[in-house]
Amino acid sequence: MNEIELISLLKKKDREAFKVIVETWQDMVFNTAIGFLQNAEDAEDIAQEVFMQVFESVSSFKAESKISTWIYRITVSKCLDHLRKKKRKKRFAFIQSLYGKNDYLVIDPPDFFHPGVKAENKENAAILFKAIDKLPITQKTAFVLNKIENLSYREIGEIMNSSESAVDSLLQRAKKNLQTILKDHYLLLDS
Amino acid sequence: MDQHLKKKIDKAMQSLDGMAKASPPPFFFTRLEARMQREKNRWEVISSFVAKPIVAFACICLIIMINAVVILSSSNSKNVTDQQNSEQATADEYNSVSAPLYEFVNSTP
Repeated sequence: MNEIELISLLKKKDREAFKVIVETWQDMVFNTAIGFLQNAEDAEDIAQEVFMQVFESVSSFKAESKISTWIYRITVSKCLDHLRKKKRKKRFAFIQSLYGKNDYLVIDPPDFFHPGVKAENKENAAILFKAIDKLPITQKTAFVLNKIENLSYREIGEIMNSSESAVDSLLQRAKKNLQTILKDHYLLLDS
Repeated sequence: MDQHLKKKIDKAMQSLDGMAKASPPPFFFTRLEARMQREKNRWEVISSFVAKPIVAFACICLIIMINAVVILSSSNSKNVTDQQNSEQATADEYNSVSAPLYEFVNSTP
């Protein structure tokens, strides 16, 4: 079954077509989400929301891009929305703790260990993930899609609606920023 | 930057090289379908409640009542304002007459 057939069947709310779409792209969606959110439960939750939106909004899909590009766009926007909500909640909890309305401390999340990272790299990868979390949104998006999803600059450009040169510049800045964050981290540990 | 620190940073930067892709837990599609069913049921409960004739009739009655209360209260407040205006006019008239007398009594020689 090709992409056009799949989409036309999904527009008719065909369960089998939906199952094929989910089973074909679930790893891609989950892996992208876990790279952004650094939490397996949140990533599964977002992956479900992505496929629910695919099912609901398939009528608006005009087949101008590949299905994978469309699903990537939905995944990235859902992940960014989730991160914004989380940040807002964290800020609100911090303000509440200042006014003594909230007794529990606002603590940093524990280290994240990606299930796909080689055992010998786990510790270093956890430090790198913490640094990735501190990057600006666009740099983080480009870096996650390139490093974790192994996408080319052209594919990242299609997802982010930008040119290959813009993606290249984003990735250069992301790497530079990551090196600075890591340097500060190691210097702090040594002191 | 000393070599030791540079080596550490490079090692961290390369730690994601050759990583495998993460997969969702088994039976992802089953859980997804269950969640979609739950969401659908929730909306069905809400829409069936709103579509009940008694609920629709109650909503219409409520809207009419709110409208009636707003119209009545605005006409009452207009009456009150008219009355206040006439009282104010009378008071002004008397003040204009009595004020010089009051000022005369209280004036210091």
